[in-house]
Amino acid sequence: MSIVKTAKKGVTFYNPAKAHQGYILFAPLGGRDVWLIDMEGNFLNRWQMPYVPGLHGVLLPNGNLLYAGQVKSAEELGLSEEFSGLGGMFLELDWDGNLVWKAEVPYQGHDFFPMENGHILYISWEPAGIIPDEIAAKVKGGRPSSELRGKIWGDSLIEIDRDGNRVWEWRAYKHLEPEIDVICPYENRSQWPYLNSVWFLRDGNILLSARYISTALKIDYKTGKVIGRYGQGGLAHQHDCRELENGNILIFDNGSHRHEYKPSYSRSIEIDPKTNKLVWEYKASPPSDFYTAHSGGNQRLANGNTLIMETDKGRMFQVTPNGEIVWEYVNPFYRYTFHRFTNMVWRAHFYDADYPGLRGKDLSLGRYFWENKLWGPGAFNSDIKPCLF
Amino acid sequence: MSYARTSLKGVMYYDSRRAYNGLTLFTPVEGRGAWLIDMLGRTLNCWQTPYAPGCDGRLLPTGSLLYAAKIPDGPLSDLEGAGGILMELDWDGKVIWKYEDPYLHDSFCRLGNGNTMVLRWVEVPQEIASKVIGGDPGTERDGIMWGDAIREITPSGKVAWEWIAHEHLNPEGNIGCLVCPRSEWTHLNACEVLEDDNILASFMKTNTIAIIEKKTGNIKWQWGPGELAHQHSPTMLDNGNILVFDNGFHPYGFPWGFSRVLEVEPKTKAMVWAYGGREATTEFYSATMSNCQRLPNRNTLICEGNTGRIFEVDLKGKLVWEFSNNLPSDKPYPAQIRSHMVYSAYRYGMDYPGLKKV
Repeated sequence: MSIVKTAKKGVTFYNPAKAHQGYILFAPLGGRDVWLIDMEGNFLNRWQMPYVPGLHGVLLPNGNLLYAGQVKSAEELGLSEEFSGLGGMFLELDWDGNLVWKAEVPYQGHDFFPMENGHILYISWEPAGIIPDEIAAKVKGGRPSSELRGKIWGDSLIEIDRDGNRVWEWRAYKHLEPEIDVICPYENRSQWPYLNSVWFLRDGNILLSARYISTALKIDYKTGKVIGRYGQGGLAHQHDCRELENGNILIFDNGSHRHEYKPSYSRSIEIDPKTNKLVWEYKASPPSDFYTAHSGGNQRLANGNTLIMETDKGRMFQVTPNGEIVWEYVNPFYRYTFHRFTNMVWRAHFYDADYPGLRGKDLSLGRYFWENKLWGPGAFNSDIKPCLF
Repeated sequence: MSYARTSLKGVMYYDSRRAYNGLTLFTPVEGRGAWLIDMLGRTLNCWQTPYAPGCDGRLLPTGSLLYAAKIPDGPLSDLEGAGGILMELDWDGKVIWKYEDPYLHDSFCRLGNGNTMVLRWVEVPQEIASKVIGGDPGTERDGIMWGDAIREITPSGKVAWEWIAHEHLNPEGNIGCLVCPRSEWTHLNACEVLEDDNILASFMKTNTIAIIEKKTGNIKWQWGPGELAHQHSPTMLDNGNILVFDNGFHPYGFPWGFSRVLEVEPKTKAMVWAYGGREATTEFYSATMSNCQRLPNRNTLICEGNTGRIFEVDLKGKLVWEFSNNLPSDKPYPAQIRSHMVYSAYRYGMDYPGLKKV
């Protein structure tokens, strides 16, 4: 426990003149709620779920919430602890919390992408992706003899339709190259390459974040081949690789096992995929003031600002291109996850006021009177006084 | 910078029934000296010098401050922990002793006989450097790999004893961090002279703490690889165990992001007490600097350097005192983006001879 770290909650900074206005959706890890808040921290909608997040929910353009819930943890599936982020069940709920669709997806983990045709593309750690021994022997890097019961688990991508049928599938081990896709020397050889984000590109191909090899991968949807590798050498266990309007890639570079001896720091970076060069970067000043070992997210907003999720601190904030913080919110909900009470949030999602999914929705402030009183604006305004006794 | 964190300052928690009453000395990274505060965070004395810390500051039984200062344009000032001057200031801030060596770094130990044990960088000869395993290839500093030496210097500045690491360490057995640059091999960051004159040292880049036998220069005991990750400040306790701050930076395996303070029994190499670890993931973490100190009432003072947080816990790990560095920075930033980091902190009980002037 630390007073210094736990005391600040809710909106801790807001500059309405510079911040892009909208609504933010987030699901506290280990909890069973998904919240939609406004810039002042008012609760506008709350979905209560039967499962803890595995690992987040998104607001679809049709106004429903699509959520991945955790059915079985890594231990329950006989996997080691670094297989964190497992889900297992997709649930779609309407604005009022009624269940309208669900799909059981064992071994689903981390990220998923709702496609325009209603299909869902998701990352899976199913045993069918386990790397065959002849290929596993060629996989380089990682700590020696740290395979999971002698096997390296490979990631798979699966696409399901609205009836839950599998319409497309991809196995990492069939397309990665052991000579290029080398595991970080300090990570375990239990997985290759440990995908933690999936994004459907406008050209119909797929962008992946491969954590253990600290590389963003572009996969050809038709053939499954790896047709692009970005960020190698500069990234350190990144998350949330997404395509921007301008064609560049935004990446949350966590900074764990970074090849430097400096206090740990995270960055949000923008890379031009044509040249693989850095075109924009956000780092705190000093850099160590912004670091999350787990997860992390970044989203470019319509006015050029970026919404960043510092998962470990439960802190989401919006920065201008110059790196000025114009909005900051600390998740006030502490739940039990990763062996302790924490306010971690895997990823926060920003929606503009004119987002189709919010059309016609009741966003009046009176709907969550007590939630606002307890955890909304003004609830945490009083000066935190030292506890001296 | 983060609004959520920068707003909280000073002593935020104090349980006077359980905390060890005394004064706390610390060296803020963006300061130019050392500060001595009481349990409520009030400054009782501060020593100002022309130099930023490089890195440690200790209150001597005479009431003087022994301070490692960082020279601005030292030959290796880009390496973490660089110092260059060791200065002793009396209670009123007057410099009463100085020792200059541009290769000094990190910490020191003042002996009872008035001599001082210091740490300094030396070049590792090419034949040895080429055999050292670890680090990214080609990242030597201008082609040179820097190693360590311990020197015992007299008050007049003479070298009474010296131990050079590369004369005693086997390159194959002392593997450097796999993701650090090869600009350094071991990076000694602590030397504590024990009652039997042997030296308890911390080799940070090879994740090893060791006891060096002064007479022979041999390593009598060592432990660390596989458990420690860029540790600081091993210190010998009265019960014969060693307390060490395990930063958990560049850890083995999945980086959960936690530091630990460990108490290790040298004979069995068992970890008999720990604060932090998995249950404190993201809660307690400092990649660099930091230190730990066992207090007479069996509490432990911990300096979480990178966050500028100094706190005290009891044996059960319960918080009894917490201070968040709130001092102004000496850097010409705008006020809100200063660094809070603190290299190290030490608690002195009210009966400590050096506090007679208080």
